[in-house]
Amino acid sequence: MAYIEFKNVCKEYKMGEIIIKALNNTNFSIEKGELVVVVGPSGAGKTTALNILGGMDTVTSGDVIVDGKNVAKLKNKQLIKYRREDIGFVFQFYNLVQNLTAIENVELATQICKDSLSPDEVMEKVGLADRKKNFPSQLSGGEQQRVAIARAIAKNPKLLLCDEPTGALDYKTGKQILKLLQDTARKENMTVIIITHNAAIAPMADKIIRFKNGTAESIESNQNPIPVENIEW
Amino acid sequence: MKIKKALLKDTFKEIKKSYKRFISILMMALLGVGFFAGLRASSPDMVDSIDTYYKNQNVYDIEVMSTLGLTDADIEALSNIENVENVYGTYSRDGLIQTNDKEIVSKILCVDDVNQPVLVEGNMPENIDECVVEKSFLEGTGKKIGDYIDIEPEETESTGTTDGEETEYLKNKTLKIVGVVESPLYISRERGNTKLGTGVINYYIYVNKENVNSDVYTEIYITLQNRDKYQTGSHKYEDYVEETKDKIEQIKEERENARYQELINEANAEIAKAEEEFNTEKQNGETQLQDAENEINEGKAKIESGEAEINNNERTANQQFKNAEAKIESAKTEVAKNALRLNNEKIEAEKGFEEAENQKAGLQSTLDNINNAIKITDNSIAEKQAKLETAETEEEIATINQEIAKLQATRQVYETNKQSVEAGMTEIDNQIASGRQELQNAEAQIASARNQIQSQESSLQQTKNKTYTQIANARKELEASKQEIQDAEAELETKRAEFNTKIQEAEGKLIDAREKVSEIEKAEWYILDRQQNAGYSSYIQDTESIENLSIVFPIVFFAIAALVSLTSMTRMVEEERQEIGTLKALGYNKFHIMLKYLIYSSLACIIGGVIGMNIGFQLLPRIIWDMYSMMYTLPEFIVSFNHQYSSMGLGLIYICIVGATLYTILKEVKETPATLLRPKAPKYGKRVLLERVGFIWKRLKFSHKVTVRNIFRYKKRFLMTIIGIMGCTSLILAGFGLKDSISSILPNQYEDIFHYDMLVSLKTALTEEQRNTYIENLKQKENIQEVVETYMESGTAEKGDNSETVQIVIPSDNQEIDKVIKLRDVKTKEPFTLSEEGIIITDKLAELINANVGDTITVTTADDIEKEIKVVGITENYISHYVYMSKALYQQVFGETYSTNVLLVQDNNLNEEQEETVMQEMVAQNEVQTVTLTTTTMKTLDDTMSSLNYVVIVLIVSAGLLAFVVLYNLSNINIGERIRELATIKVLGFYDREVYDYVTRETILLTIIGIVLGLVAGYFLNFYILGTCEINILRFEKVIHPISYLYATAITLVFSIIVNIVTYFALKKIDMIGSLKSVE
Repeated sequence: MAYIEFKNVCKEYKMGEIIIKALNNTNFSIEKGELVVVVGPSGAGKTTALNILGGMDTVTSGDVIVDGKNVAKLKNKQLIKYRREDIGFVFQFYNLVQNLTAIENVELATQICKDSLSPDEVMEKVGLADRKKNFPSQLSGGEQQRVAIARAIAKNPKLLLCDEPTGALDYKTGKQILKLLQDTARKENMTVIIITHNAAIAPMADKIIRFKNGTAESIESNQNPIPVENIEW
Repeated sequence: MKIKKALLKDTFKEIKKSYKRFISILMMALLGVGFFAGLRASSPDMVDSIDTYYKNQNVYDIEVMSTLGLTDADIEALSNIENVENVYGTYSRDGLIQTNDKEIVSKILCVDDVNQPVLVEGNMPENIDECVVEKSFLEGTGKKIGDYIDIEPEETESTGTTDGEETEYLKNKTLKIVGVVESPLYISRERGNTKLGTGVINYYIYVNKENVNSDVYTEIYITLQNRDKYQTGSHKYEDYVEETKDKIEQIKEERENARYQELINEANAEIAKAEEEFNTEKQNGETQLQDAENEINEGKAKIESGEAEINNNERTANQQFKNAEAKIESAKTEVAKNALRLNNEKIEAEKGFEEAENQKAGLQSTLDNINNAIKITDNSIAEKQAKLETAETEEEIATINQEIAKLQATRQVYETNKQSVEAGMTEIDNQIASGRQELQNAEAQIASARNQIQSQESSLQQTKNKTYTQIANARKELEASKQEIQDAEAELETKRAEFNTKIQEAEGKLIDAREKVSEIEKAEWYILDRQQNAGYSSYIQDTESIENLSIVFPIVFFAIAALVSLTSMTRMVEEERQEIGTLKALGYNKFHIMLKYLIYSSLACIIGGVIGMNIGFQLLPRIIWDMYSMMYTLPEFIVSFNHQYSSMGLGLIYICIVGATLYTILKEVKETPATLLRPKAPKYGKRVLLERVGFIWKRLKFSHKVTVRNIFRYKKRFLMTIIGIMGCTSLILAGFGLKDSISSILPNQYEDIFHYDMLVSLKTALTEEQRNTYIENLKQKENIQEVVETYMESGTAEKGDNSETVQIVIPSDNQEIDKVIKLRDVKTKEPFTLSEEGIIITDKLAELINANVGDTITVTTADDIEKEIKVVGITENYISHYVYMSKALYQQVFGETYSTNVLLVQDNNLNEEQEETVMQEMVAQNEVQTVTLTTTTMKTLDDTMSSLNYVVIVLIVSAGLLAFVVLYNLSNINIGERIRELATIKVLGFYDREVYDYVTRETILLTIIGIVLGLVAGYFLNFYILGTCEINILRFEKVIHPISYLYATAITLVFSIIVNIVTYFALKKIDMIGSLKSVE
């Protein structure tokens, strides 16, 4: 049994009279420690899938198994607990708390987790040891995203979910962020899922899931992932 | 104008979308305008009500009174003054009414065209034996319409009635109650003071003007022209009245003198008349005395002449009598001579008679012979006649007839002889008879002479007797006259003495009268206006304190409204930054872009404001009036829509809200579209000062650090929360504080200061002995613990221009009083003892008349005796004003003898029922006038004061609304502004509770700061409110009980908890995905 399994997952949104099927019988599985890149056009359902996987959204039908736990069946409070302990999120727009310094943003996450990592160590890992006392507004976009990643991984989650982490960044910085993620997956043996509309970066992944029209159209395992530095786009 | 249409549509959609924000702004406007308009309007509404009342009842503008009364001439003079419309002369006097053993004092007023009373029930007094009363009179006396009362008007020195004869003030003193009225002159419970009874007027009654018997008016009431143009109490009105008063002031002296002169003239004329009378009387008296004396002298002369006359008469009489007696004697002698002569004559006569008799006897025998011869002849005739008869021949007959004729001739001769004999005999008889007659006559003459003499003698004797008796009588009479004269002389003496004393007396009286005339005091006019009417002036004062209150409260609301809308609109504008940018990029001009926000806020403001003013105008004045209606009697409370305050309130709130909107939006629209389209740089995080204090900062929990930093990050919100909560707490605290202060009055006065359970007033007519016996008996009663004797009367205390009505208390013993009334220093609570040094006055009185220890104040008793007395102590007191004076001082200063009229009684901790029974027993006794139970007094006062609970409720409700709006708004903004942050921490796996804590921790902290500041502000606000609404006769203890701080805190917390619960659910609903997806 795979570490993560999406089984016949359907997600419908009601928009007034109309029912929109965001996910239509989606199936895929991910192994522990894999770096997965989810690609697909806008509205294909990748973010919905990620949100469901991250415990931020619920399914209409189907099962989502994460490490033997059926996330689809969790109640609200259990879902929060799941997010709290098992999931790390990285967003396109960093979503740092502006009123907290970099290290404090990390602490914000670690203070609620049992097996959290030391914020300082994490900050060092993401290469911001010397900027940790800065407020988000004093950091560049890449640095802010590093803080966001640090905040996500400091919780020592089972899953690191990244929704377009480079969407708001320039090429170079984006590359650095992707590298950080790849390194994290490799070094920490963390399961990392990255959503992107940029299919060019797919080769860096262990597994590439392509979404189209609400389903995982293809799931492709990449036996030889290419280090990010070597990918050009 | 398609553009505009689209924009308008957008505006309405915006309202629908962000209805919470819209409503919160609307609510702020509603509260702000409602409170402002409602509170501001309360005072004008109250003034309006009394203005309408006074205009309807034609209440005076100026009142003139004079110490010597007022006359028609005064009315005339006043009518000629500029601005004066009508002048009414009317009467009033105090009177005593006896009902059910109770003696009550009433003001007797006349129904007139001025100051018309409002008829509540029944009829106006149309006849002189009718009257109308106030409602409380019926309640207090148990009388009904249709019942009769007896009223005894006060006897005054009747200023102006120089005839000295006291006429009855009322023609009819038994009056039927025909109706119930409300007087515009007595709108409060204050009825004024009197010299009668207990010194306090209990009620007023109205009688028909015709019932009054008075030659001078006691008051003149003046109404002014065009006064409908002015509102009573307004500056314009007061200036107008003042101006007219000044004009009256100008004729004042002249009229005073005129009245004085009139009285003097009257009195002088009276004296002159009296003098004249006195003089004539004196003259008369003297003449009379003189006459009497003359008479006496005359009498004396008469007596003397009388005496002489009598003596004369006697002498004459004696002489006369002597003469008479002599005459009688000579007469007697003559008679005796005559008698002797007569006797001689008689003897001779007797001899003559015998001779005659003898002649006669010779004659007789001749006669007898003749007679025989006749007889024989007759017989022969008869024989012849008989022969005749027998004779048959004529010759025989003729012979016989011749024989008979011859016989008859013989007989004829015989007959003639007989006649001459008989004549001789008769002559002899006659001679004898005449002789005898002569003798007899002579004898009779002598006898009569003798008789005459005798009668003369006796008449002389009688005359003598009579004369002597007369003389004796005359003498007696004379003696009596002499006595009379003596008596008359004595009488004259006494009369003269009497006359002299009388004259002296009368002279003394005249002198007195003259002195009195010189003592007639100059008339003094008192020119008063409505402000001197106790009810009116305290009413106007109260409207002023409400006005003061109405300035402070709305300020809090406006400040908060401005803050709330500022934050709300800022948030709104920031949220729609991109839209603004887009519109700008599309080419809309600034004005069109701004319009949406201006319309949005204007709508909220105007709708809220209009609703608010309508609620406010109706609700607040009525609530406030409800409170004041316990103290004032007005027929109708007029609530009007006050355009001035409504537009002012709306204008102010409009400036606050729309101004705030304009401020925010102007900042935004200045930016270029490009800048606007880019997301606004989020507020930078900043280190706060506290972080530099390492040892504290390090010890803080992470979450607390966040809180601290957030508080300082959002300064507007910080301010708004603190001010909002502060306002809320302080309003609530002020409300409870007010209640504390007011409710502490009763226990302070009746438990701490006054320790008596009953106040027993004794009837005034008791003798010293009756009183002492009664008091002794009362002291013996087992239920009674203490009886303290005092003398109480009402009066005034004044210093400078300030004067207050006071109760003067004079205990019979300076030590005893301490058992029932604690006299002590306000602060140190150190007890005072009464002494001869001076008086002790109550603290509020001292404050009002501005008197300190050592100052001299003027104390006036109910009998108008004015004395200056030194204040030696200021004692703690809460209700009414008292002046405490020692018996010795009273007697020394006022020179009156002390007599107990009030007993302060302490019982043996009786319960209410027992007290009631004791009271019943006491009242039934003859010596007792009234008994007042302290518990009853407390209850009555308590009822009145409980009306103040309204204030507390109003304050709490408004505070609650305020807190709610502020907190709710704050929470909305908080969530809206920080939604991404909150979504983030939710994604991070914060439990709902933790998210809630994360947000509300700062709110709670701010709330606590707000509460603490609010408690401080409330403490001062409470003082401010107390200061503005304090009543003259009450001293509010400036105290707030600890429990009130607790209440204020708890209630504020409850409001914030309610808001927090709402927040909790709002937080739960936050859509993480939606919030995080969007571009910042």
